[in-house]
Amino acid sequence: MMRLDIRWWPWGVLTLLSLVLVMFFVFYPLGVLFANSVRGEGGEWSLASFAQLASDEDYRAAFRNSLVLGATVTALSIGVGVPFAYMVARYDFPLKNLVAILPILTIVIPEIIVGQSWLLVFGNNGLVTNAFAALGIELPSFYGWTGMIFSMTLVYYTYIYLGVLAALRGFDGQLEEAGLSLGTPPLTTRLRVLVPVVLPAVLVNALVVFTLVVGNFAISMLLGSRVPLLSVMTYNTFVSEMGGSPMLQSAMSMISIAIVAVVLFLQKRVIERKMYTMTQGRAPAAERVGSWQAMAFTGAVGIVVVLSMLPLLVVFLAAFTETSGPVMKWGQWSIGSLARVLGNSPEPIWNSLKFASMATVIGVIFAVLSSYLIIKKKNLLTQWLDYLLVLPLTISGTVLGIALIQSFNAGWIVLAGTSAIMVLCYTVRRLPFAVRNASSTLFNIPDSIEEASISLGVSPLMTLFKVVLPAMRASIASAAILMWLTTVSELSASIVVYTGGLETMPIAIFRQVDGGRLGLASAYGAALVTVILLPIVVAVKVFRIQLFSSR
Amino acid sequence: MASITLDKLVKQFAGQTVLQSLSLHVPDGAFFTLLGPSGCGKTTLLRCIAGFHEPDAGRILFDRDDVTTTPAHRRDIGMVFQDYALFPDKSAFDNVAYGLRARGVRGDEMRRRVGDALDKVGLHALASRLPAQMSGGQRQRVALARALVIRPRVLLMDEPLSNLDAKMRLQMRDVILDLVREANITTVFVTHDQEEALAMSDQIALMERGAVAQLGSPEALYATPDNAYVADFIGSANVLPVTVTSVDAGGRLRYRFAGCEFDGTPGDGVDRGEARLIARPEELSLTAASPSVANGIEGKVLRRQYLGAKTAYRIAIADAAELRVELPSGHAAGGIQTGAQVQVLIPERSRVVAA
Ligand SMILES: Nc1ncnc2c1ncn2[C@@H]1O[C@H](COP(=O)(O)OP(=O)(O)O)[C@@H](O)[C@H]1O
Ligand SMILES: [Mg+2]
Repeated sequence: MMRLDIRWWPWGVLTLLSLVLVMFFVFYPLGVLFANSVRGEGGEWSLASFAQLASDEDYRAAFRNSLVLGATVTALSIGVGVPFAYMVARYDFPLKNLVAILPILTIVIPEIIVGQSWLLVFGNNGLVTNAFAALGIELPSFYGWTGMIFSMTLVYYTYIYLGVLAALRGFDGQLEEAGLSLGTPPLTTRLRVLVPVVLPAVLVNALVVFTLVVGNFAISMLLGSRVPLLSVMTYNTFVSEMGGSPMLQSAMSMISIAIVAVVLFLQKRVIERKMYTMTQGRAPAAERVGSWQAMAFTGAVGIVVVLSMLPLLVVFLAAFTETSGPVMKWGQWSIGSLARVLGNSPEPIWNSLKFASMATVIGVIFAVLSSYLIIKKKNLLTQWLDYLLVLPLTISGTVLGIALIQSFNAGWIVLAGTSAIMVLCYTVRRLPFAVRNASSTLFNIPDSIEEASISLGVSPLMTLFKVVLPAMRASIASAAILMWLTTVSELSASIVVYTGGLETMPIAIFRQVDGGRLGLASAYGAALVTVILLPIVVAVKVFRIQLFSSR
Repeated sequence: MASITLDKLVKQFAGQTVLQSLSLHVPDGAFFTLLGPSGCGKTTLLRCIAGFHEPDAGRILFDRDDVTTTPAHRRDIGMVFQDYALFPDKSAFDNVAYGLRARGVRGDEMRRRVGDALDKVGLHALASRLPAQMSGGQRQRVALARALVIRPRVLLMDEPLSNLDAKMRLQMRDVILDLVREANITTVFVTHDQEEALAMSDQIALMERGAVAQLGSPEALYATPDNAYVADFIGSANVLPVTVTSVDAGGRLRYRFAGCEFDGTPGDGVDRGEARLIARPEELSLTAASPSVANGIEGKVLRRQYLGAKTAYRIAIADAAELRVELPSGHAAGGIQTGAQVQVLIPERSRVVAA
């Protein structure tokens, strides 16, 4: 039983302050969104917008397509991720350590770069398309289902891979030996023993992938072509309703939230039913494999890794390629695109750096403070803070952007049109990850070191600064880097809330691709990838921070 | 340095009363132990003294100062924790220096005092090590140095030895005693290990369910337990139901047990009627079955157990009661074997306490 037994100074006050901020910037916008979705033209209570959506053939198609796309990409991600994880966990083959780590890097490649790169390769004017055209072969169109399924799978299999790999590594090899000693044949034993271990990890991460695909904006927008999809349609409705009554966009947003809510509910059930009851044991040693098998393993895993890393290379090649209007002159090098971007319109780069660094500072401070309150100063209020901080996870970027713009474009706090709304967008969207990151470390810091500090004459508040924060230094650094990586590449929420002068790199890339100027888009892309990779290299090489150790 | 006075402390957690109007006085400079089984409220009491819990009622005084509502960081205490609680990112030196820095002690004086403190616990060579690079015993020494270097008014220790292995535990007893004796500091030491309490303390408060069952020197608790709980917790004892037939003003008492009359020593508040005899195994002795002697009772040796320096006997007596008797191995009765008929002598000094 949690009692409302609160010391007001300083923790109670800080808890209240955090709660008020989260209520105002997360809970309130969702409330506004909900209110707008159940309102008619005249402001009266009405379910008209939902009725209109239900009877709209295009919307129904988009709904269907999004679910089908989600299911397909999830299934393929499982098909790629599970065998990949199994090979890495149980076998030794050449280059294994390298290919085992690289998929983690895939996660930080911005989706907009992924979409753009595959356009540069397989699109109408793409590298491969042109090469085949020169041979007189016309490749089938990459736009639509093919492109989306292909490039999304190469992004999202990493979630399954990492989840299953963690489960397999925590798996007690003695179980398998026990099975064998009881006389079951090896293959049957493996299946019987491993499936219960791997299945929950697969299910939980599959549900994550599903929600990410359904909420995906960047790749859907660039490669989706004429396939109607929920996220794209919600964004388009927002753009066309601009200034008018926001009923339809709100109703669409509520439906998207409902889909995620159902998935989260299922996920919770899975976790409760049969989550890792595995006794921590010694994972079985990896098995060396024979030469032909080793080649096959390296080859299979290598192809996936190379394909998922390819966008990083392509975007740099394209940035240095000569262009003439929309035509990429592959093979002819030039720094023209880069010069135009850096010389004439570097504003998006500065904006990205500015907004992302502000969001990182605010987000990390807030995440550290609130996870400290949630874990070390438990009471009824901090419990609520904990619940509220998970909310942004249930909202896709597009929906978050719509909620924020609806709440802060008029009335007593107007943020629309200012840098503040961009920073707010970034911060709210990525806060849950930063909180999780900080919490996992705080869990491992015993309460007694704080009491030791207090007994030595340092006040509780100063103890936070002199003992707790220094002890969680490494995790603050990694939270900051992750926050930076994910905010600097944020597109789906910021593209909804941005206005002239607030353009960021991902938005610029999106607009240049949309306008057919792939060279300029690639120049921005190269800049974006640079500011993403630099801190990772610095963190890992200089500060030796284990960036990706805790998910 | 200060004496500690606890006046009718009450502490409740969610309706459960953990400290029941507890009063105690810890004299200036004493090594005072709170002893008791797990869950009896030792830690809660210590944390009230430290200021990490606010009592629901009652007062806490250091000398004459009422510190009941003083926040922990202004109480000028030193505390040693079971899990050492060293700051993980700070070296041994910086851990010890932490409290001095908080008190504004800087420069050469700070370095000298930290150096002295580390010297005293024999860790001068390890000053630059991080906690993770030290053994359990070394960490606990750093923790001790860190608590003592600030010369607190009182030193509080919550089961500081229980995470150490048996050998290190014995060694650390001496380290702790030497240091607190030298600093002449009032110490409250919490343990559930009666042997540790007997070996280290000036005074012991044996606790039972949030109250003090008996307060006294180790000798007093062992030799004159007030009740069966105390006798049972400290050392081992035969506790037998008896009927008191007479108590006289001169401090003599007669009681009836297994159909015979015995002379005994009355504990506090014993009256005629049902009572309990407390007989330590080593205060009993054995003689031949006949002739019968005063304060003797007949029994049969169920098992003889040779334990080196002493020999233990399990004796069955009437009414299905059993007694444990321990004799030095060289004793005259050493020849008594399993199955023999004997008489157990219950000395007059054995105490009879209220039931
Ligand atoms: N913070 C707390 N909240 C609720 N109950 C507590 C708390 N601390 C201790 N208790 C309860 O108080 C009783 C005494 O605990 P404690 O003082 O830790 O005992 P000891 O240190 O003697 O083992 C136990 O029943 C315990 O469950
Ligand atoms: Mg305790």
